[in-house]
Amino acid sequence: MAAPLFALLAALILVLEGDQILATRWSPATLATIHLLALGFLTQIMCGALFQMLPVLAGSPVARALLVGRATQILLTLGTLFLCFGLYWGHQGLLVLGGLTLAVCVLLFGWAIGAALRRARGAQYTVMAMRFALIGLFVTLALGLFLIAGLLGAESVRFARSDFARWVDLHLAWGLLGWVGVLVMGVAYQVVPMFHVTPGYPRWLMRSAVPAVVAGLLIATLAMGLGMGVWAGFGLALTGVLVFALVTLDRQHRRERPRVDATLLYWWTAMTSAMLAALLWAWGGRAEPIGVLAFVGVGIALPSGMLFKIMPFLSWFHLQYRQLSGRRFDVRIPHMHAFIPERSALIQFGLYLVSLVLLLLAAIWPELAFSVWLVRLGGLATAGAIGFLWWLQLRCSAQYRSFSRRLA
Amino acid sequence: MSEPVVPQVLDVSRLAPPEPLERVLDALADLPAGRPLWVLHRREPFPLYDLLRRMGYGWRTLGEDPRVEILIWPLANPPSEAELAWRIPS
Repeated sequence: MAAPLFALLAALILVLEGDQILATRWSPATLATIHLLALGFLTQIMCGALFQMLPVLAGSPVARALLVGRATQILLTLGTLFLCFGLYWGHQGLLVLGGLTLAVCVLLFGWAIGAALRRARGAQYTVMAMRFALIGLFVTLALGLFLIAGLLGAESVRFARSDFARWVDLHLAWGLLGWVGVLVMGVAYQVVPMFHVTPGYPRWLMRSAVPAVVAGLLIATLAMGLGMGVWAGFGLALTGVLVFALVTLDRQHRRERPRVDATLLYWWTAMTSAMLAALLWAWGGRAEPIGVLAFVGVGIALPSGMLFKIMPFLSWFHLQYRQLSGRRFDVRIPHMHAFIPERSALIQFGLYLVSLVLLLLAAIWPELAFSVWLVRLGGLATAGAIGFLWWLQLRCSAQYRSFSRRLA
Repeated sequence: MSEPVVPQVLDVSRLAPPEPLERVLDALADLPAGRPLWVLHRREPFPLYDLLRRMGYGWRTLGEDPRVEILIWPLANPPSEAELAWRIPS
């Protein structure tokens, strides 16, 4: 429930710093916005999703989930705020504090999720992807800490100015492809066929896509360490993402029911954005449009679309559980779709789509006289979309609590 | 000689959540007393197991994604050998 607040903060920076933000990826406002979205919104939802999905998909609940979940969330919230304000104000103390807090958070999270993954059964390729994603998160963190040390001028981490951008690219690649991409793939193998009743993913894809991404990233990292070009590695990883996105669109095209809902629209947007971002990246396109496609086109889209399915399902399921446990059959539990009405979800998606298009136009043509206003309007639309998403979440949660009280 | 198996089969493999869970709970409520239920699913329904445990049912799961068979029975009436051996036709 706290994740949308970070996206709202990112939207606020877009509105206030529109002139800085898409002109260069290196502006403090851009760096802060990206980390607010990547850590505060995306990683927070992904961590929460892992806590919820492991018992449902792999029959392996996380031990002391409530305690570990709370601790992880507090550490992630604080770490993200320290880091983002450190980047925004160029404050060294906050950068160090942010890096260390996030390190403790990732270690705790990795320990708890790693233990649950060891006990997991079934859903072989999903569990494998989750393990790789955890490794991706560790490497992203390690590279992030390395970059902070470099920014602070640590003696042991002296790299040439030109190398700095390449290390940032590697950090970005591990975060976007190794952590987010790999986890999305693993979860998609289960939820795409489940939510939209599509044919299952082909075995060849489940066997090869995640290993291709991880192998590509390892090759790129090794090449970077040896001072060689990273394109072969990145190319392999991006091919894995591209093929996965194409197969996902194909599966969804062959779904049993022709109905189109907000979750499906979000998936289509995310997969199209992922493919465009991968192609632009492979062809050496400018970083700013790639960033908008990756962080807004995928990073905001997929969690939003998934929340529309997962929150109502969990609310409905826990009420069912309480009803059966207490034998309170006099209370009529609402249908799952009543928790977040489809019409509201579609309006929220429309707002989001406006924000994506505006930000993308501004990123593609930053030289336009009104591009600053495109960013600001895009920021406002993002704030509207995220604010509405948050309200729908709160409404779902209030409805759950109200019925939960009646079942007590 | 054991009784001939008269299987009650519920196919939820082409339904979206939460319909599989709803249909299984409805089918269990309508089931003749003491009879088992065979469910054909596309994945192992871990959330269902929690509910079955609460409701006093036992279960046994066979197969893997995308074809999973779950045999569910009231704990007071364990399935016969013939019922345990019966499989849902492909």
